[in-house]
Amino acid sequence: MVSQDTLVYLLFSSVVLFFALANIGIFGPLSFAAYFLMAVTGIVLGMLAFADFLLFTFITSVLGITFEPARNYKIGKHQDAVMKFVNGIYYATGYVTCNLFAYVFKEESIIEGEDERQAQAPDIWERAIMSIPFPFKFNVISAARDTQKVRDELEGKRAYQEFQLSRAYQSHSADQTGITDIQRKISVIQAKIDRISRDEQPVATLMYVETTAVGVSEAAAGDALTAQIKQLELALGGFDLQTTRIVGRELYQLFNYNFSLPTTSAEIKSAFDTEE
Amino acid sequence: MDKKILLLMGFLGASVLVMVIDVSLPNALVDPLIRILLLAIALFLSIMAFSTRFYTYLLLPMLKQRSRHVVLSTDDAYWLSAGQDAVMHREGILFAATVLVKIPMYVSATQMNPEEKLNFTRQVARLVALSQEPVRFTTQLHMMNKDNYIKTLRDTINEVDTMEAALMSGGTVSEPEQVIKGKSSMWHHMLDNVASTPSFELVSFAAVSARSPKEFEAVAEAQRRAREVISGISAVFGVSSSIVTGSEILKFVEPEYSIPYSTVAEQISKSVREQVI
Repeated sequence: MVSQDTLVYLLFSSVVLFFALANIGIFGPLSFAAYFLMAVTGIVLGMLAFADFLLFTFITSVLGITFEPARNYKIGKHQDAVMKFVNGIYYATGYVTCNLFAYVFKEESIIEGEDERQAQAPDIWERAIMSIPFPFKFNVISAARDTQKVRDELEGKRAYQEFQLSRAYQSHSADQTGITDIQRKISVIQAKIDRISRDEQPVATLMYVETTAVGVSEAAAGDALTAQIKQLELALGGFDLQTTRIVGRELYQLFNYNFSLPTTSAEIKSAFDTEE
Repeated sequence: MDKKILLLMGFLGASVLVMVIDVSLPNALVDPLIRILLLAIALFLSIMAFSTRFYTYLLLPMLKQRSRHVVLSTDDAYWLSAGQDAVMHREGILFAATVLVKIPMYVSATQMNPEEKLNFTRQVARLVALSQEPVRFTTQLHMMNKDNYIKTLRDTINEVDTMEAALMSGGTVSEPEQVIKGKSSMWHHMLDNVASTPSFELVSFAAVSARSPKEFEAVAEAQRRAREVISGISAVFGVSSSIVTGSEILKFVEPEYSIPYSTVAEQISKSVREQVI
């Protein structure tokens, strides 16, 4: 899901595309080439908006572009690890998302049987730790949100869904699946409102895992890192999390978070696509 | 104005300008191929304009350096503040200070009943909702640096071995023969055990940052935020947290401190032995 900021950028960047489309006649016999260029631009803009990490890593891999984010550090052409060379040894650091949804931060989801799950969490965590034979960091960047503001937002969303439900009931062509889906959305929103009513603080979080592997060459360290990340994903599987290896610009962003954290929630939102 | 917005406006303006030129050129004067070329340039500039959304930090260095190895910064990633209690980082004209707070937790799920486990999870949830300003909570598993311990063990072994050698050559020693042989065997076993497997340490800490044009202001603000976090941690878990200072900070920031050099050397030689022998 893309943020509103990204949509605004997309709209502005598409102005020339639409302008060219409106004046397609000026290209005469080469209109087909103009259509082709516009189609390619549309695809590239779409990819940059919805899956920029695919395009960015493809470009850097093909062209062999590497980055030096700071002295002694290097981000390789695959954009999946930050390398450091110390005492003849390469240290490769990689990152994995540990959120319920990849590349977003999200309020806690409403899950049935939550108490049992919460009671099991310390055991699952300790089992995971004991099965990991290499260094790693589990990071949670969190910021508590204004309770009243979140409550107002949720009530607004519930009112919208209730309006959708009443329309679905009035419509002659309404299908039962659609009605059930809206009812499910309303119950999820209601559960969130109930939790806030029980004095629970709404929180915006960004969770990720960082691990470091070593090797006598860049390739060896990179391979060891990949193996470690696979092992981490297996070990953390007990939490029923969706894990995704972080590549591209987010890798650089998280590398910087080792030395300088965001100071406002807006900073995190501007760096990552978010979900409310 | 923000650099990001300036770049966006620049690329968009250039793109629109090229497109307007393309459209306004009379058909009689311009070959359609040139029109296509101008269209390609305008569309490329549009893509560049959109790229400023996330890639401003890359675009300028890439355009300036025109190299396949793009240097984003030649400075050190960080340095420690004068009081050695904050990690400093330069961001344009601003200084960013990050203060780390150690969370001393020594509990295990194996010692808890189901109700205590549930309470512990809820305490963690409360901890995460501690502040409206972003706080990073980290649990770090790293290899312990046993170099000094191993060195002490080796020194002790040398001492016992010297006594054993003196005993063999008929000299006088302060302890009975059986005691010296027992000690020698014990210390050798201990060294074998300690050196053969890596030991891990699990540490939890919180981190907060603050920015300011002046270094000391950034540090002071980060310290203030850290003190708030410390009181929050005390209220939630009832433990006394402290700010991480001096060389201990390196353990949480530098990758090589999470895997000590001696352990890496041992790992590599072990892997070579396994491959060759």
